[in-house]
Amino acid sequence: MIQSMVADDNVLDLSMTEKEFRRQKRRYRARRLIPVFGFLGPYFLLWVVFLAVPVIWSVWLSFNNGGIVEPARFVGVTNWSRAFQDDELRKSLINTAYYVVVAIIVVFGLAISLALLLQRYRRWSNFFKLGLYIPVLVSPIMAGMIFFFLTHYDMGVLNLILQQLGQDRMNFLGDNPNALLTISALEIWRGLGFWVLFFLAGLENVPQDLLDAARVDGAKPFRRFRKVTVPVMRPLILFALVIALIFNFQLFDSVQVLTKGGPVLGTSTVVWFIYRRMFAFQDSGLAYATSVGLLILVLCLTIVAYGVLGKKMGKK
Amino acid sequence: MDGMTQMKDMALNDREPKWQIGRRLFKAGSAYSVLALFVFVAVGPIIYIISPAFRDSKSLFSYPPQWIPNRWFTGNFTFLFSETHYLRWAANTIIFATSVTLISLVIDTLAGYAFARMTFPGKRVLFSLVLATLMIPMAAILAPTYLLVRFLDGWTFGLIGTDTYGGLILPMTVSPLGVFMMRQFIETIPAGLYEAARMDGASEWRIFRKIVLPLIKPALVVLGIFVFMMQWANFLWPLVVTSKDEFRVLNVGISTLQGQFVTNWGVIAAATLLTLIPVTIVFLFFQRWFVQASIAGALKE
Repeated sequence: MIQSMVADDNVLDLSMTEKEFRRQKRRYRARRLIPVFGFLGPYFLLWVVFLAVPVIWSVWLSFNNGGIVEPARFVGVTNWSRAFQDDELRKSLINTAYYVVVAIIVVFGLAISLALLLQRYRRWSNFFKLGLYIPVLVSPIMAGMIFFFLTHYDMGVLNLILQQLGQDRMNFLGDNPNALLTISALEIWRGLGFWVLFFLAGLENVPQDLLDAARVDGAKPFRRFRKVTVPVMRPLILFALVIALIFNFQLFDSVQVLTKGGPVLGTSTVVWFIYRRMFAFQDSGLAYATSVGLLILVLCLTIVAYGVLGKKMGKK
Repeated sequence: MDGMTQMKDMALNDREPKWQIGRRLFKAGSAYSVLALFVFVAVGPIIYIISPAFRDSKSLFSYPPQWIPNRWFTGNFTFLFSETHYLRWAANTIIFATSVTLISLVIDTLAGYAFARMTFPGKRVLFSLVLATLMIPMAAILAPTYLLVRFLDGWTFGLIGTDTYGGLILPMTVSPLGVFMMRQFIETIPAGLYEAARMDGASEWRIFRKIVLPLIKPALVVLGIFVFMMQWANFLWPLVVTSKDEFRVLNVGISTLQGQFVTNWGVIAAATLLTLIPVTIVFLFFQRWFVQASIAGALKE
């Protein structure tokens, strides 16, 4: 039907006046928009309802309290002033930052090293890549369960091994800062394979002629890495950093499964704080304000990511 | 390319003394040992979970540790099937992940086509809006989305709401990344292919169905696998939006076992093992696609 209407419009009547011609043109353009609505409509309906509305609503909610059990009531900026003084929130922020720094440094260091090894030593590389990648497929909850059986004080296999070696058992999940480090270890275990393959793909893109030129000039491997590979990879690494920051900042699943924020808030993270404050008490205001804070942080990081990306494209 | 340089290395090293060849072998040997060690650390914990799944709760605590169960105890599995909703959770997970994947594929492809190939006023603004929401985490809009779904409960005849499939599925279908990926992919199709069809008066829908859709099949597979994996692993939203045990997905259901059967850890190991097996098997089938899917998500941007 749309097709026939468009075809009609294509027949230009040369006798029509200027005014009529303009009207025809407008109508033609309006008709061409109909398929656009058809194509964009389904996505944007869901986008508006489940993304745009919640984002705007979350800003409004941050000036309210309650809402989960009893109706929300307006409280002005109380949530925000409380957020800056709340000890639990501060603790959660510090824990999250600590975790993010540890996880990113370890994962990136290991991933880049392993990617370099895989690039240099290519025998059985499919086997190694597959093996390293398998934990990526394990969902955080399943990974949490697996780590539970590794680190449990009485039956955890790591403790049984320690005991066999004549060492004392470790309280992997019941002591600070052990608990947070155990959770970091879990996320490192789960994330490493992805970043190895990511950096390996990046390394393959380093122009071989540059490396060969450096080799001819007598540069040793480490110097070649520092002077050729690192500068070429820098935008990619920067971009990966921003992405890893955004994702790691949302740490929640393994905390909920392994420690429930404990012991003594030792593993409480920002998202865990939001979840707990939203449902555990009838006082949800702090959760709302924290959500908006998280939203702002992610938006800023997204802008940074696009900036890095823009620079990368500009260089090419 | 690297092979070439390695061959050059070998040619140069024809004259190298024996101790240097030894050093080279030693270096290669240690490199492969390091790689093997990391593979062991990556895969070992997953394989270990088999052991507690087949042991009764008493032998879980036995010392010295039993690596291979003395007696293959299957009580954990029978308990799981008879006393918990494990099968219902598994069905829910499959319904949830599959529906999100199918809906996402349809709406993302349509919108991606519009952004890649159609001209309309406000296109740039709309696309920038979608890009701006690319990274927004579920956690940041958890509260309003939950309240929204609860509000919709009274207005959608029970289609969308807490403890409904609609409420579980629909909020997860909106992924700016999918639209972005599809747009990028559709833009790589040479324009000549459908300009001709457009000249002949074919409608947008016809061009989309007859020319574009057959060409983007690989992208559909990649995006489909990507979305499915994300939802298979999803925990936070199903946890928040469901409270009845019959509407739980596997991740949430298994995590609730933890609190209920404090003395029966073997059941949890059995559930974990049972949940991991199908994913791993599917992965071994689609190995190449999976890796591509996840790297594509990050690298394509």
